[in-house]
Amino acid sequence: MTSQSTDIVFIDSTTSRECHLFEFTSKLRTIMKVNQDLPHDSVNLTVRSVKSCTCSNHDNGDSDRNTNAPRKYSVLDEKALREDDTKLVRDQRVQTMSRSYEIILESIGEDPTRQGLLKTPKRAAEALVFFTKGYEQSIREIVSDAIFDEDCENMVVVKEIDMYSLCEHHMVPFFGKVSVGYLPNKRVLGLSKIARIVEVFSRRLQVQERLTRQIAEAIAEAIKPRGVAVIVECLHMCMIMRGAQKVNSRTTTSAMLGVFREDPKSREEFLSLGRINPF
Amino acid sequence: MISNCDCINITQDKKTNVFYNFNGIKNQEENKEILILTESNVDQYDLHNGNRRQNISDDNALRENDTQTVHDNRLKTMTSFYKDILISIGEDPTREGLLKTPKRAAEAMLFFTKGYEQCVSDVLNDAIFEEKCENMVIVKDIDIYSLCEHHLVPFFGKVSVGYLPNAKVIGLSKIARIVEVYSRRLQVQERLTRQIAEAIQEAVQPRGVAVIIECAHMCMVMRGAQKVNSRTTTSAMLGVFRDDHKSREEFLSLARFT
Repeated sequence: MTSQSTDIVFIDSTTSRECHLFEFTSKLRTIMKVNQDLPHDSVNLTVRSVKSCTCSNHDNGDSDRNTNAPRKYSVLDEKALREDDTKLVRDQRVQTMSRSYEIILESIGEDPTRQGLLKTPKRAAEALVFFTKGYEQSIREIVSDAIFDEDCENMVVVKEIDMYSLCEHHMVPFFGKVSVGYLPNKRVLGLSKIARIVEVFSRRLQVQERLTRQIAEAIAEAIKPRGVAVIVECLHMCMIMRGAQKVNSRTTTSAMLGVFREDPKSREEFLSLGRINPF
Repeated sequence: MISNCDCINITQDKKTNVFYNFNGIKNQEENKEILILTESNVDQYDLHNGNRRQNISDDNALRENDTQTVHDNRLKTMTSFYKDILISIGEDPTREGLLKTPKRAAEAMLFFTKGYEQCVSDVLNDAIFEEKCENMVIVKDIDIYSLCEHHLVPFFGKVSVGYLPNAKVIGLSKIARIVEVYSRRLQVQERLTRQIAEAIQEAVQPRGVAVIIECAHMCMVMRGAQKVNSRTTTSAMLGVFRDDHKSREEFLSLARFT
């Protein structure tokens, strides 16, 4: 749903409130998802043509599923939440967030008019948009032109990729390193594309377990190797700066697919080659 | 208030409301440089929170007088605006993982700025003792976690504090508590260093105070220049530590960051 005109205003009929273009598109997705339950005229949209949205209930852009049902959509083909953003939409996002941040600054007790804080709402908004820029890219675009046919049968490991993400529960950073390994099956992936896959999935509101799984599945779908293994080891600021306040503890998650899950020797080889050293 | 620390010292004459800058002045007789700050040039100087306190111990922390109701109101406002922020990012705040996130993020932000709820004199709790100690006291490698006031993103690292007592010593954990009170705020690393040094200076009037802070700034690591391994070091040297380079050297070698 894109618009080049600056004159269109979207009114949410349930609340009679003007809402921004990006809010409108996300509500539209929700409406599309449950349209079998709503009567035809219960949602009064002020626009005439509506592009039908193919994405289903997403979990951080992830596909619709319950814990046991097989996945219907691929991780590579999921729709990125902000992929259709025009410049206008992006500026509106930053503007809304700046206003929210200004009120948050007041709520903390600070004075948003003092010199050091004058432009902070805008800077904080742009920083947050940057920290969630993983929503703007689709994986398929990133990997599709870097898949090569290669007669390689031995393990490929890209280790200690720095990663910075945001905890989705507290919106506080967590960061660390990722090691990725795979056993190719006649096709290899460009090495920097592995790092880019990590970037796209980490620059979102994430949970470390889901991040690990998404990275592994993306590589598995892109080149269909014999096996993929991913280890992520992170420091969580939400645990260090607040809450339990355990300064030295790190969280490690892993995802083993294919041969790595079945064969302990391969798994052992990956764990020793891709070991993440203390940082 | 006049102090001989190497920073811009601004004090306000309460009767005339004129600001004075005693830059580099040691005692009142040598009053050569006085710069009167008027509305046109006051922005050049960082007047912390609008009004520089006359005295560290009179620091009126911004949220010190909060009642429970006020605190709850703050939380409620911040929760609703964090929800707006989630919508602006493009996320769906009704999905399972994000349902309570606005409230958790608001509580986290209030925790990260809890330094506004205490003033230094409460923190010190009169833990100042007479002691005939003349040698350097160093408390090193204190972890600190603070928020960059420009991007609202954490910066963290270690502080080492040393002082040369002058018949009075301060409780050791109080040094760490002073660091906590000043770091749990929206800060600039330079100001944080200076505030810690001045607080100790005023509390025990030692012969000298030295503070070093070394931090990694997430605003520089996670975004912007994206320099992963770089760290920023600032220091504040007051009294003997500024004048005598041997004392400074001793402090720097004893407090060497591990």
